[in-house]
Amino acid sequence: MTDPELDPYVEWIAREAKRPVAIDPMAVERVMARVRLEARPSTRSARWRWFLEPRTLPLSPLLGGALAAGLIGIGAFIGHFAIDRGGLNETGRQSAVVESRPPLASSSTDTNVIKFVLVAPHASTVAVVGDFNNWDAQATPMTRTPTGGTWSVSLRLPAGRHVYAFVVNGANGTTQWVADPTAPLAPEDGLGAPNSVVLVGGSAS
Amino acid sequence: MTYPPRGWVIAKDMSDDAADVQRVLSGDVDAYAKLVDRYYDRCARFAIRMLGNRDDAEDALQSTFLRAYRALGRYQERDRFSAWLYRILVNQCRSIAARRSHRERVFVREEALLLNAPDKRPAWTGEDEEFVQRVLNELDPLLREAFLLKYVEELSYEEMAALTGAGVSALKMRVKRACDKLRERWERIRDD
Repeated sequence: MTDPELDPYVEWIAREAKRPVAIDPMAVERVMARVRLEARPSTRSARWRWFLEPRTLPLSPLLGGALAAGLIGIGAFIGHFAIDRGGLNETGRQSAVVESRPPLASSSTDTNVIKFVLVAPHASTVAVVGDFNNWDAQATPMTRTPTGGTWSVSLRLPAGRHVYAFVVNGANGTTQWVADPTAPLAPEDGLGAPNSVVLVGGSAS
Repeated sequence: MTYPPRGWVIAKDMSDDAADVQRVLSGDVDAYAKLVDRYYDRCARFAIRMLGNRDDAEDALQSTFLRAYRALGRYQERDRFSAWLYRILVNQCRSIAARRSHRERVFVREEALLLNAPDKRPAWTGEDEEFVQRVLNELDPLLREAFLLKYVEELSYEEMAALTGAGVSALKMRVKRACDKLRERWERIRDD
């Protein structure tokens, strides 16, 4: 390659530098000896790489602002949902037989799906009883989660105030009627066992 | 040994490269020897010219081919293998030059303190290769890199930009400054 602008001396330097260099005939073997000690190169697909590799995304101030506003909106929606519906609060696991979470209603007012949750790791079966199933301990068994001692069941309930309790059958054959420790208690009914209250379509009282 | 006029842009090499890369990824390690063999000489020339000695050049070449092998699964066929490999080589040469620069600074300072030694560099012996290498070594590494890529490896400024991450105008400036320095060097020799 000759460059019309190139000084003859500089061109001479380039020409000399372009000459092949003497190579140790064992050099390639030395490279391959090290390569053979390596694991086979990873062939992660381009699709996975697209998801896994870090990248810099150009973001205009306008789009950035819109995204921030969207995230704030989502946060506000979730916050409203959790507060308004007495949402699923995480409670620390206690040493007592039962722990519970307040019933969680769906956001739709016409369906009124209430989810009852109770943590009872040592129970063999758990059921929810209340005015909605005539206090029948066989009517609404709860299901244990595969990973732990949490029991839950979802029920479709009419709007209004409902009194309920949990029937916990222990592994040793004992049966306990227990109130929901995280929900308001109903006034004493004179039968000796405390009950809880959930207000569907409003807040529990 | 002769190099093709534009060694990095040869369609045959590109198709051979792609096939060999696929064979390596399928588990045929020996196919990688073909890639190493195909590019070792050209890479060695750049590494020796850039680093100025064979020991450092061999370190750069070993780590270049090793890193390329480890990263072969991430090589995209839309890129030329040679350009991808050269990018790794340029970075390895920069790393080794930076380490050596630090090492030499410490050594020179300590030696000067202990011995107060004068500059004992040998005079030009008249051997062209040795002289050319010494002249290149006197260039700032970035100027040397730009000069070698442009006038020895014969890359376009766009190809150089892709390899080095520098802008085209910055590279043109580096090449011009390298040529100016070399010309000044020649004028000093001629006047002496």
